[in-house]
Amino acid sequence: MEQLINDLKLQIKEALNLEELSLEEFDENAPLFGDEGIGLDSIDVLEIIVLLEKNYGIRLANPKDGRAIFQSVKTIAEYVQANRKK
Amino acid sequence: MAEQEWAGTTYGNAWMHKWLIRMLRHIDVRILYLFVAIFVIPVCLVLNPSRGIAYRYFRRRIGYGRLKSAWKTYVNHCLFGQVVVDKFAMYAGKKFDVEVVNYNEFLERASREEEGFVQLSAHVGNYEIAGYTLVCKDKRMNALVFAGEKASVMQNRSKMFADTNINMIAIQPDMSHLFEIDKALADGEIVSMPADRINGSQKCIEHDFLGAKAKFPLGPFSVATMRGLDVLAVNVMKDSLTSYKIYVTPLAYDKESSRQEQIRQLSSAYVAELEKRVRQYPTQWYNYFEFWQEG
Repeated sequence: MEQLINDLKLQIKEALNLEELSLEEFDENAPLFGDEGIGLDSIDVLEIIVLLEKNYGIRLANPKDGRAIFQSVKTIAEYVQANRKK
Repeated sequence: MAEQEWAGTTYGNAWMHKWLIRMLRHIDVRILYLFVAIFVIPVCLVLNPSRGIAYRYFRRRIGYGRLKSAWKTYVNHCLFGQVVVDKFAMYAGKKFDVEVVNYNEFLERASREEEGFVQLSAHVGNYEIAGYTLVCKDKRMNALVFAGEKASVMQNRSKMFADTNINMIAIQPDMSHLFEIDKALADGEIVSMPADRINGSQKCIEHDFLGAKAKFPLGPFSVATMRGLDVLAVNVMKDSLTSYKIYVTPLAYDKESSRQEQIRQLSSAYVAELEKRVRQYPTQWYNYFEFWQEG
């Protein structure tokens, strides 16, 4: 799980050009969206959706689950671990 | 530069909308056009800041003289009034003559393929007419709509769409609409959305448009290139008092290039097509906010 979390942090950092954010500062429990967390927005969500499909073969089965899955890197990692096809 | 702001809702309350629909069941739309042009638009022009915005658009972007710009500002507001009347006339069951260029050919080909496609529109002409006209039997159309639209308008749209293959996805502050769009595209459906107003994410891409720099939202182009799907620009223009013409143009981009490059190419193609239609129908531009970055 820890390896998957680190891989996801790296992939998200690269896909979204978060150069100023170091891996150590990138807290897996921090909210990805909103002022309190990493501060990503809707365009960034699209990039993460593309990333998950490309790297892990994941398609969200139910759009209503999206918000809960994309809360933090940890919640994404949990979803990936349970649903990955690659 | 002024903030890009637009309420994005239809004027009036539920009672007014209901009354308008009832009236339109019995009278010719042209009578209402005349009423709007004589009694409503002059008042709007006095009270509404859209007057100055439209005037500057005709002066600086289209290049008209002072008098012509003032006259075209009035005509532009009258036409806007007409497309609002037409929208309610459709809710009241009235039909308009609609000429579609190219679309059926594209739909026939697209419906044989597994993949869906994306339609990008703009706030010119009357896109809502297209929603009721361009229907694909084999593929569901998902139309992205502003969640803050008046309940009465949303109810009427739902009624209109009840017997069609059209689903509305409302833009939500919690971004849940993105997951619905993703699902629709993954399932090989059609997604239709406007690409000329910045809503939600402030990320944007800048292009030369009608001779000055303007910002366009990144979101629609990002969605369209997510799966390397075909993309169409669909602009529905009012051609006469009772007819519309739908211009459907495939937008080319290199699907093998990086996503950033795909977004740049696609947005350039979209802006070029939009400029072509706006130059063809300059009085049907309905973005009443400071669209361009100019001093």
